[in-house]
Amino acid sequence: MTTNNSQRNTGDILTGFERQITQDRVDAYAEASGDHNPIHLNEKYAATTQFGTRIAHGMLSLALVTEMLAAEFPNTWHDGGKLKVRFSAPVFPGEIVRTYGEITALNEKDGELIAICTIGCKTADGRDAVVGRATVRLE
Amino acid sequence: MAVPLISTAVIGHKFGPYEVTIPVERANAYAKAVGGDESPDYGDSLAPIMLVAAVLTELIEDLGLFSGGLQTIHAGQEASWARPVKIGEKIDANGRLASNSVRRDNHFATVSVSYIDSTGSEIGTSSTTIIVSGEKS
Repeated sequence: MTTNNSQRNTGDILTGFERQITQDRVDAYAEASGDHNPIHLNEKYAATTQFGTRIAHGMLSLALVTEMLAAEFPNTWHDGGKLKVRFSAPVFPGEIVRTYGEITALNEKDGELIAICTIGCKTADGRDAVVGRATVRLE
Repeated sequence: MAVPLISTAVIGHKFGPYEVTIPVERANAYAKAVGGDESPDYGDSLAPIMLVAAVLTELIEDLGLFSGGLQTIHAGQEASWARPVKIGEKIDANGRLASNSVRRDNHFATVSVSYIDSTGSEIGTSSTTIIVSGEKS
């Protein structure tokens, strides 16, 4: 979704989406990032870890959140965007996550309008996987 | 087993520079992993967070976190971008250990990274916080 930024207001909800984090997606993310840590890929190894099974890369969950931001702010997210997040809980292959965001403040800086957004993604059972904040310039 | 760098590195320790170039094959793998109907069309550019992920893999390796017995949790991530990055564009990533402390037998480390393009301009920054357990130090 794209919106004329002159229409942006505090309290606006960003358009989130759901994505099932399949093992195929985790495998593809390992190829993309080069992170072949067996905790993401090898069930036998992962069973010996504190999680007891494979987990998705935290950066994969964060990538979904940035997809939402890139779709919401197509001309400015990759041109001056900032984020700060913490990874609150692991996502296990097969789980569905939903991204979310809300504009919590609009600030003016150097003649430009800056949106401050809460951002994150949750699993279907309500666990926070990624929680944080993004700052993006409005056109 | 060699002592992992996470055990001995002091604040200010430099990592890299890592020369990072994301070819189209890896960009396609990223799209397969992340993409969906809602995904924007990046054209010949990358989602910059992919560059962060690629450098993070190098950092984890250099910190010795793939060593047997260590368990690493990616606790936090910051990133900022001044402009999009092109597929195939060469970027140099310079890392620096910004903090490294031990609490209750867990290492808490933060590595900051600056991303520099071929003109010498900084096009992005990132900061990664990790927690490492299982280390005998």
